[in-house]
Amino acid sequence: MVGRPLDESDLIGRAQRGDTHAYEELVTAYQGIAFRTAYVIARNAADAEEAAQDGFVKAWRALGRFRPGAPFRPWLLQIVANEARNRRRSAGRREHLAVRAATEEPSGGAAPSPEAALLTAETREALLAAVNELPDDQREVISLRYFLGLSEQEVAQALDLPEGTVKSRTSRALERLRESYD
Amino acid sequence: MTELERALIVLGREVDFPVEPDLRSRVRKRIIERNRRVLRVVVVAVALIVVAFGIALAVPDARSSILRFFHIGSATVERVHTLPPARERPLAAGLGPVRSRHDAEARSGIPLVLSGVTPTRYYAQPGLIATLLEYRGKPVLLAEMGGDQAGITKKFVTPETRVEPAGIGSNSLWIEGGRHVLIWQAGLATFQRVTRLAGNVLLWVEGDRTFRLEGDLTKGQMLKLARDITR
Repeated sequence: MVGRPLDESDLIGRAQRGDTHAYEELVTAYQGIAFRTAYVIARNAADAEEAAQDGFVKAWRALGRFRPGAPFRPWLLQIVANEARNRRRSAGRREHLAVRAATEEPSGGAAPSPEAALLTAETREALLAAVNELPDDQREVISLRYFLGLSEQEVAQALDLPEGTVKSRTSRALERLRESYD
Repeated sequence: MTELERALIVLGREVDFPVEPDLRSRVRKRIIERNRRVLRVVVVAVALIVVAFGIALAVPDARSSILRFFHIGSATVERVHTLPPARERPLAAGLGPVRSRHDAEARSGIPLVLSGVTPTRYYAQPGLIATLLEYRGKPVLLAEMGGDQAGITKKFVTPETRVEPAGIGSNSLWIEGGRHVLIWQAGLATFQRVTRLAGNVLLWVEGDRTFRLEGDLTKGQMLKLARDITR
């Protein structure tokens, strides 16, 4: 879903030595996944934007502690997710995930791809509604894992959970969702 | 992968996420502003130190007091002849109520750096997060502080206490022996000033964070624990 720049370790090394231009490249590469991760947790676009921005600034300050060679994406997402959680605790409107209107009908009369054919419009709506109804801890795991394409290990690091907990939450959530899908 | 999982992946591509903002320029602006602020503080601090040393070295009676002052990250250590009044208190005295990790991180604004162990008792004050660990059967207090808060923890030691570099992080001190007194304090009214007698302490700085470990451990044991924590 989000490509890693080819010279990521070089960019990180330069950013750790204080090169703000190198860090800007990292921000550009990861702002999409950072914003969406924050949105999944905070459920509010304005909060997510603030959380992602603050997360990037805090990550810059913490770069000295980043271990060279370690995966950068989950390390960054953990900081962003923490910011998003702090904002979720404050009162405010919480938004539900919705299906894009433009994708409800195949465009130009083209046949839907085999993957898209898995889901009718009704099934999509029902499945997404079921995801929205999940408890927060399960909804976050499902959204990060399947909607944002993070690996199980990345989800665990981003949410600061043991991998076993991510597995069990995923399993419980899939069990619930199966009722809406079957 | 089950059909449901494949369906969720397909669904993910069709979710109507809000348009992602362009954060690049805003993050850049904040980083540059912060760098300038830090530079200003450093310039002012260096200027003050130069002035203070100039005055101190010109006045013989003042030399000893200035030269017995250590500043490391958010911590200050002063060597004095007479300790301030203090008594034995629990390691976590003055750090507020026991909290969950999430609550402590939210209150302190500091994501805890801690590998290998999962304690259950966390404490927080603005700019400071702490937790109680058990290492080799002994309680150890770990505190982590943001870097721009000079003097959030202050320590007074007598000449009997050994204070020496510890060889960890960008700057470090090992404080052992004698009687020494710890004061938690900050400019914020919500942070109570608490004075107590302290055990052996390892202080070190990594990046913009000051770490502090306190407990009845040797220097070697404390250094190993420090490296395990920040691994």
